[in-house]
This record gives sequence, C-alpha cells and structure tokens, in this order.
Amino acid sequence: MEIKTINTTNISTFFNQLVQSGKIVIAPVLKKSGKIFFERVQSYNQIETDYIQTAFSAKSVVFPKVEELFSYSKTTDNFETKQSLSDIPETVVWGLRPCDSAAFNYMTRFFMDENPDIYFATRKERTTLIAISCAKSDEACFCTSVGLDPGKTKGSDIQLTLMGNEYYVEVITEKGLSAIKTSESLFTSSTEKSKEKYLAEPTTKFSIEEIKEKMQNAYDNVAWGQESMGCVGCGACAFACPTCTCFDIQDEGTGENGKRIRCWDACGFSQFTKHASGHNPKPNQTARRRQRLLHKFKYSVENIGMVSCVGCGRCIRICPAHLNIFENILNVTKA
Amino acid sequence: MSEFEPKIVAFVCNWCTYAGADLAGTNRTKYASNVKIIRFPCTGRIDFMLLMKAFENGADGVIVSGCHPNDCHYTSGNFHARRRWIIFRSLLDFIGFDTDRITFSWISAAEGNKWAQIVDEVTEKIKSKGPFTDLKKLNCTLLKQLYDEAITK
Amino acid sequence: MKLLQNKVAELFKNGTINLMIGFKNALNKQVVPCFIENSSQAEQLIYTADCKNNLSVYLHKPEVKKIKKVGIIGNIATLRSLIQLTSENQLWDIEQTILTVNEKDEIILFKNMREVETYVQTYFPENHTEEDKKLLEYIDSLPREERWKYWMEQFSTCIKCYACRAVCPMCYCTQCTVECNQPQWIKISSETTGNLEWHIMRAMHLAGRCIECGECGRVCPVGIPIHLLTTKMNQELFKEFATRPGFSLKGEYAMNTFKPEDKEGFIK
Repeated sequence: MEIKTINTTNISTFFNQLVQSGKIVIAPVLKKSGKIFFERVQSYNQIETDYIQTAFSAKSVVFPKVEELFSYSKTTDNFETKQSLSDIPETVVWGLRPCDSAAFNYMTRFFMDENPDIYFATRKERTTLIAISCAKSDEACFCTSVGLDPGKTKGSDIQLTLMGNEYYVEVITEKGLSAIKTSESLFTSSTEKSKEKYLAEPTTKFSIEEIKEKMQNAYDNVAWGQESMGCVGCGACAFACPTCTCFDIQDEGTGENGKRIRCWDACGFSQFTKHASGHNPKPNQTARRRQRLLHKFKYSVENIGMVSCVGCGRCIRICPAHLNIFENILNVTKA
Repeated sequence: MSEFEPKIVAFVCNWCTYAGADLAGTNRTKYASNVKIIRFPCTGRIDFMLLMKAFENGADGVIVSGCHPNDCHYTSGNFHARRRWIIFRSLLDFIGFDTDRITFSWISAAEGNKWAQIVDEVTEKIKSKGPFTDLKKLNCTLLKQLYDEAITK
Repeated sequence: MKLLQNKVAELFKNGTINLMIGFKNALNKQVVPCFIENSSQAEQLIYTADCKNNLSVYLHKPEVKKIKKVGIIGNIATLRSLIQLTSENQLWDIEQTILTVNEKDEIILFKNMREVETYVQTYFPENHTEEDKKLLEYIDSLPREERWKYWMEQFSTCIKCYACRAVCPMCYCTQCTVECNQPQWIKISSETTGNLEWHIMRAMHLAGRCIECGECGRVCPVGIPIHLLTTKMNQELFKEFATRPGFSLKGEYAMNTFKPEDKEGFIK
C-alpha cells in the first residue's frame, strides 16, 4: 500500500488522463430526472461530485444487467457457438463509496468461490475501482451497522479522501499503482494521516454480531407479516443493490441463430421461485421478503461467511414504499 | 443493385378480407406480391402486439383488414377492434412510431378489387419510404453512440 | 392529525376495521405507507399533501384480503382507483372503510361505494403537476423522429424492474403476460426493443382503466415518465369516446364497450 496526496486542482487532470489512457471511465452523472447514475464519461466536468449516494450501484460493470454468454448460428450441417470475452474493455470506476467497494468483495466471493464464473472473472480482472470516502451520509445509510465505515478501503484499488484542499490517496493494490503511473507527477508521497474528522458519521442501528446471532431464530417470528406488508413485489431493491447477484438465463433466438443471455432477476418477483410443477415455495410477499432478509443476514453468512449487505441504503431510497431494511431486521429480531 | 422490395404483412379476418383476397385471386387480378397474409377468425382477435412483432421480425409495412362495421361474422368483433386500433394508433404516434407504415381497412368478401388496390397502394407507399430500420438500429452501437453523444454535450 | 388518529382508533375499537392502511413519517423526511393493526398504533398516522402513494394497490395482497375488514385513506386518485377496481369486481372479498381528507382538511368517512362515487363525480381532478403538463406539451411539440429518439433514449434505460407494474392498482393479473414463456411475448432481459414492447403493452392494457395517479412515473428507479403514456391515452380516449375511468361503478370503460357509430378518420 502506498500513501500519497493530490491537490484538488489536479484531480481533474488525473481524471482526464485516465480517460485519455484509452480505458472506459465510469463515474456518477446527474441525469435530468434528478437521480445520479454511474455512466461512461469523457471528462471530469461531466461528473457529479456533491452527492451522498448514486441511485444504482456500479455492479453492472462486472455483472451487467444483460450479458451474452454465447451466441449460436446454424451452419450447413451443424451449429457454431461463439463466446465473446475478448470484447470486454479495460474499465475504471470512479466515485464508488466504501460500501460499494466492499460489495465488489462480496461479489468476488460469490462468483469465484467453488465454481469460478469466467464472465465475472474477466470483467473484474479488467476493472479498476477508485473509491471516494464519504464526507456526508443520510438517514438511510447504515454501513457502520454491518462492519463497514465511510472510510474503509476494503475492496478499493485506490481510495480518495477529501481533506481540505487536497485528496488523501491510499493506493491499495497493484492495479491502483498502475492506474496512477502515467499521472505520477501530480501526486506527492505522504505519511499516514487520520481520516476520522473528514468522514461522515452514520448512526449505528445495530451490532452485526448480535443480529447474526438473532437471525438464527428469526424465521418463525410473527413480525414478518407486518414488516412485509408494504412490499409490492417489484425488483427495484434487488436491481439497485450492490450485492444482489441473482440472475436468470434465457435463450433468445430462432432455429437459425440466437444467443444465450444472463440477465438480472429479483427475489421479489412472484414467479421467482415457481417450479415447473406449478408449486411455489414462496407463495406470498411475506415469504419472499423474509427469504430476502434471511439470505442477506443468515444464509450468506452460513454459505460464504459474509453478510450480503453493505449498508448503502439504496433499497430504502428506491423502494416505492420506502421499506426500511434495518428497521425490518430490528423488528424481526425482537424477542 | 435490385430495387427495394418491401415486406408487407397483412393481418386479415377470415370471413371478409381473406375471402376478398381469394376473390382477387380467382379473378386473376394482378397486384403486388409483397404481401404475406395471416388469417384470423376476426379482427377482434388481432392482438396489437402482433403488429409490433411483425415489425420486429423484419416487416416494413403492415395491413390490418376486416369486415365492414355491422357486417362482422361474430357481430361485434370489428367494433372492439376499431376502438383498439384508434387508441393503439395514437399511442404509437405519441411514441414517435411511423404510423404511416400501418394501414387499416374494411374489405368485404366481394371487394377483391379493393384488396388488390390497397396492397398496391401500400407497397408503393412503403417502397418510397424505404425499409423499416427504426427497430433494427436500437439494439446496436448506434444507440450507444447516441448515448455517448448525449453525455459529451 | 389528532382528529384522524382518533377516528381510526375509534374504528378499531368498534370493530369496523382490523387493519388500517395509511401513511406515516419515515427517515429522510419521507412519507411512507403504514399498516396499523390496532388502535394503539393509530398515533403514527399522518395525512399531508406529501401522501401521494396510491394505497389501493395493497388491497390485492392475499395477506390483506385475509384480514377482510380493511380501512384505507387516500386522495382523489386513490378513490378513483377504488371505484374502478370495484367496477371490475376486484374488491368483492374485502369490507372496506374508506376515508379521505378534503381541501378544507375535513375527514370524510364514506358509508359505501356509492358515496365515494358521488364525491369523486363532484370533482374534475387535475392530478397532473405543472412539470408533467410541461413535459407532455414538450413531447407533443416535437416532430415524429425527435419523439421517437426521446422515447427510445428513455426506454434504453429501463431496467425491467416492473416497479411500474407492481405499484399500479390496475395491474392485478396473477400471471402477467411477461411471465408467459410459451411463447415469450416480451423479452425478459432489458434491451430497448423489448423495453419498448413492454411499455406499449402496459399502456394498451391500461388504456381506459388508468386513473392517472402518476405512481408508475414516480416510482420508476431510472426516472422514465411512463405515466405520460397512459395520461396521453386517457386524453385521447376522452376526446374520442367521452369516457373517463374511475368515475362510475358501472363496469363500462372505453375499451370494453363500443358504439356502432364510433368514428375514425384513418380506416380505408
């Protein structure tokens, strides 16, 4: 790990040099609708710098909303299949929050444990993550309740923290080092500094260790009904969530040619768990919402040892009924 | 370089327009061969999504035709269809779809000549408009370019 | 506020309702739906101009239907959707107690659906915000190719989360057309042609039934103004057939009725 600083007047030069290096640069952009999304940009003046959180996560960089797994076409007496991993470009994601970086860690465990997913692996390998520590938070943020904080560097290749008129730069990985290589003259070496007074202070809603324990017995709690009443069964929370990785595989094509694609799916949809027999093990929204929360705070822990929630609060902000995940957790773990 | 021959798909009702088209055939009326006819029991059965699917799968123009009002074999199918077409057309227009590419008509079983005339007119019109590329353009890099342009402005 | 809370507590106490669907304050100064199951919880209830959610969507949930005696509060759009749903025979298995608050801040408790119908017919509601009116005007003013470009740019951002479908009280099919895969009418994945077809299909299925609460546009995570599609269709339907959904308990609306003398200018 190397520690550097860069003057705020030079940050746009660094950014534009990243663009000029030929990599695809994805950063937060303010749209006409007033929401902020991660999109491809060509220069620093297109990006939004004053915001708490983007509407959607940056997971589509490594886990796109639609991904072609392979394509097929009929030849004279056979079929030909083509897999196109070489088209995936080198990408830099700028402006992630520490919760988002930690989510990339979770996704790496999910996709690479046991049966490595080559599509995810290729994309992740070609992606550099540059995070910016949070100076502000709102009431939906709860990263400190899930073992993270507004300055944590877990998962980032480079982390920037704004300290007055300069950015404190933590270059954590080899990828981070090679990203700043061509702009080295803009950076100055530095000693370790404390970030604490420059970071946001989201209130801690619960202790994750306590919750992990209490969730063991939460399945039968009658509170699930009340906590899930507001859920209308859309996929907004799952699609916005940086750690939700459920997908559907579909074949689109004709007898002559077509492709197999993987696209996002959501556990809130009523047909998500429907069997071919017609039986649906999660027949109502209460069962589906319970499954979602237990998955994040119990089953993920059992399967890969990580809570699959980073406390970014996107689900709360984007939900049509603003269902509150940490309130739900607290209410279903009450004795 | 051959001239552009449009692909026209016609959704017609069995009792009137299809019979009318048959009559045009029996009379050996000469008319454009660009049309592919799909037979329905009634225009009331024609789902608006079928028209979209026709365009998605390569049609350049669409004809929808059935019995005259008050002549429907099932009494009121074409009345429901009429209301549906009115609102579908205004929706497509609002979205910016070229509604000139869709032609609606009432053609009875005795109007073989009218059928031939409509097909000829539609073929001419679509020929002069050119191939329908609005949907083809969407799924590829052109839209991405538009997007990139919009961001760099 | 206190009046409303007391009224609801009373309804619980005299056994008129076992569940109240209303609004409460939540974090980030948001107003969210709340589900109250006894009189002591009634103090959470609020009702302000920010209470825009159309709560009638919750009346389709089996969890709510099981409770049977349900109270609900809403603005004119919510009342209209209750009337439309009643006319479509979707609320026969719920004993509803309907409340609203008028411009004079008076709480009105309706004795039956007829009273709701009368109340709604005395208003000619303009649900549309200034922003919506301006956007509709702007889109209408564009030439055709520009309109197409505008909508295709919007639809390319659609992520197919179906939040628009989920919040719409009129979308109550237990299996939506998109969930049919024999054949797969509408692609599951999010790509522009499929998204266009989804939105066209949704607008057509709602034609003449949408009561213009604007929820679909409000909840869209990517900010597509899809409520304008159905708003425009309703305007056209009113122009052509002089019908408006959500005003009458008779189950007749533009698309399930016809008149032999209907006129149009484009059928050859």
